Amino acid sequence: MNYLRLFGVYFRLSVMNELAYRVNFYIQLFQSVVELATALTGLAVIFSYTSTLAGWTANEMLALVGVYFITGGMIGLVIRPSLEQFIASVRDGTFDFTLVKPEDAQFLMSFQIVNIWKLIDIVMGFAVLTTALIRLGSKVGAGQAVGFGIMLLTGTIIIYCFWLVLATLSFWFVRVENILVIFQSMYEAGRWPISLYPGWLRFALTFVVPIAFATTVPAQALTGHLTLETLIGALTAAAVLSVVSRFVWRIGLRRYSGASA
Amino acid sequence: MASASIHVQNLHKTYVVSKRESGVLAALQSLVVRQTEEIPAVDDISFHLASGEVVGFLGPNGAGKTTTLKMLSGLLHPTTGEVTVLGYVPSKRERAFLRQITLVMGQRNELVWDIPALDSFELNRAIYRVPPTDYRLMLKELTELLELGPLLHKPVRNLSLGERMKCEIAAALLHRPQVVFLDEPTIGLDVTMQRRIRKFIAEYNRKFGATVLLTSHYMADVEALCRRVIVIHNGKLLFDGELASLVQKFTAHKTIVVQLDDVQADMHSYGEVVSREDGHITLRVPKAETARVTERLLANLPVIDLLVEDPPIEEVIERVFAQESA
Amino acid sequence: MRDFAVLYLQQFKTTFASMLQYRASLFIWMISAVLEPLIYLIVWSTVSVSRGGSVGDYTAGQFAAYFIVFMLVNQVTYTWIMYEYEYRIREGLLSPALLRPVHPIHADIAENISSKLVTMPVMILIAGGLALIFKPTASFQVWTIFAFIPALVLAFLIRFLIEWTLAQSAFWTTRVSAFNQVYFVLVLFLSGQIAPLSLFPRAIQVLANILPFRWMIGFPVELILGRLTPIQALTGIAAQVFWLFVSLGLVRVVWRAGIRIYSAVGA
Repeated sequence: MNYLRLFGVYFRLSVMNELAYRVNFYIQLFQSVVELATALTGLAVIFSYTSTLAGWTANEMLALVGVYFITGGMIGLVIRPSLEQFIASVRDGTFDFTLVKPEDAQFLMSFQIVNIWKLIDIVMGFAVLTTALIRLGSKVGAGQAVGFGIMLLTGTIIIYCFWLVLATLSFWFVRVENILVIFQSMYEAGRWPISLYPGWLRFALTFVVPIAFATTVPAQALTGHLTLETLIGALTAAAVLSVVSRFVWRIGLRRYSGASA
Repeated sequence: MASASIHVQNLHKTYVVSKRESGVLAALQSLVVRQTEEIPAVDDISFHLASGEVVGFLGPNGAGKTTTLKMLSGLLHPTTGEVTVLGYVPSKRERAFLRQITLVMGQRNELVWDIPALDSFELNRAIYRVPPTDYRLMLKELTELLELGPLLHKPVRNLSLGERMKCEIAAALLHRPQVVFLDEPTIGLDVTMQRRIRKFIAEYNRKFGATVLLTSHYMADVEALCRRVIVIHNGKLLFDGELASLVQKFTAHKTIVVQLDDVQADMHSYGEVVSREDGHITLRVPKAETARVTERLLANLPVIDLLVEDPPIEEVIERVFAQESA
Repeated sequence: MRDFAVLYLQQFKTTFASMLQYRASLFIWMISAVLEPLIYLIVWSTVSVSRGGSVGDYTAGQFAAYFIVFMLVNQVTYTWIMYEYEYRIREGLLSPALLRPVHPIHADIAENISSKLVTMPVMILIAGGLALIFKPTASFQVWTIFAFIPALVLAFLIRFLIEWTLAQSAFWTTRVSAFNQVYFVLVLFLSGQIAPLSLFPRAIQVLANILPFRWMIGFPVELILGRLTPIQALTGIAAQVFWLFVSLGLVRVVWRAGIRIYSAVGA
């Protein structure tokens, strides 16, 4: 499909672009290691006082941290840099160049930048996840692994749709780059299992800012706590959000081009 | 309709902007009530371009040129009116339409900053789905015409402004568009580069028969490239026709440049003295008087050389605008 | 002195107007300022419940009080000056500030405070809402107010000056974010942001006392919650004063060095 080919071109361009700044590799490595150390230290402090947190053991929490880094890495790999670039391009007018191209503008702007160093986060996340699974002594069967893979993908799609809606707001409001910062801090909430939060917050983190699907749900798939309802719920949410976000995008485009509402 | 490649009829574009006064009180007030006002950017414009024409859109900043261009390229929806380009309605943004047009904006870059221009070209090739042979041929042509050779492999950030502009233009033409929209393409460039780019545009038009619509507030761009000129001011179309007749219609004066033996001569009885330098005196006389004044000058003064000219086009345009605002 | 007052007043007027314009982004920032203490509030309350009521010298209700007050104190003391300078230097906007006869830090402080004037009322409302939900408990003592006010002012100054100093690192490197990250991690652990400092091992608490982080946020929080004796309050304020002088010195040194570099490299 042409979209795959286009993504390949974007990927190649980004790789070449980034290779010009190899120092970024070390910077990213440093930052990711510090972030991981912070998360693990935090866990250590908490688990020095208790053996379970909202029903999750230390090793299950470790698995959650692993998933947190994997999904965070996937977001930072393509979604975040591309959408940030999109928001900037709306502000400085270069988005017009994208609009004038004979390809779907949403696709073009969603994949335009690939921050390859974020692969470090993904690798690190898998390392932590593997460690956690080993310590849990759990046998991860094919079914669980597939379930995990699907939930991970589903979670990423959900997050992408969410980011898309946020980014589309830049068609209405000028200083929107801060909005993406909200996500970053709300994503922090994903380091903790959803069952920890009181009902209203759990609701917010599932249905308003769908963090739960990014971290807790895939982790549950691996630790064996994933219910069929949650699985179906996640898939439905991904499907619905894809449609809704696409719709919001199209409305945003109409607004940008001054079409009557 | 069939031969008109661009067709604009009663085009209007009105913007609604929020209005706010200065001061803290007004700031607090704007929290509650948002006051808006309507600004007509394009006010009832109509024109038609045949295929292969090179037309200049002339007007001061904020005249509505860029807005019109955006409506022609599908970036903006008109408020009212009809637009068709190559038979398509631009705002529908159909793929087949977009593949045949291109937009170059003088003040904005689309080339990726840190990598060689050639790599950005590859991106456009993929997006426009240009077949490999066509791409190679076109690239060769463009490289020759624009003298891109040494530039293509340098990261774009290392290029000078003029070199960057050449690459931007090349990137925009790789897919051999039938309609080329250029928004202030020579802005900020030095004179040599401006000339080179103008020459290129003329060549491209000649070679590929593309319709070119160029906006500028540089007279020189229009003078060099376009026989036909559309003048826009305050969103209204003031003039649409040949450049020569623009000059004819809007000027009531002619300029006489006289070189005298006697530099101190009093010229006031002959006409308005615009300047005196290096022994050349420039006079502005009403068109009807030109012959008579010339006669008198030649008869009464020690004239070494005499030249009768149209006033500079800038002056003409200014007068056109002044008429409109008056 | 009068000139400063006029300067600050003028600064307030301009930034207040622009802050109202950008109120959307201000409120967005507030979400992150609320969420973090909220998360830790929930985490620690949950842990205390699972332990039968308390962790260390904090019950669930006391955790609620701690984190809600922490949220407010953090709101008073926080800055974004590091991002601001990275932006200014990158965009070459620093020259006008350098040309003014007044040290640019005053404009920065005024901007910081005036933005908080806009956000603080909402923050207090949110704190009220959180209090209704999480039912904080604290043994409030009236005398602490007299110590709290200077402690809060000092905390703001220390934090602002130190973060302002760090912001100048933008003169030396474009990699400000890596630099900042280490700082934020230290603040996270040593200012009482992730957990009240009394929950940490003794060694960490000593470290927190030696470094300025506790004095930036944690100390005023513990003070107003009635967790400190008058003696501890006084020694705390003394520590803050010490750090105030240190940070003032740092600001001077770093600013001079930065100017030299900036003028050498050019605008």
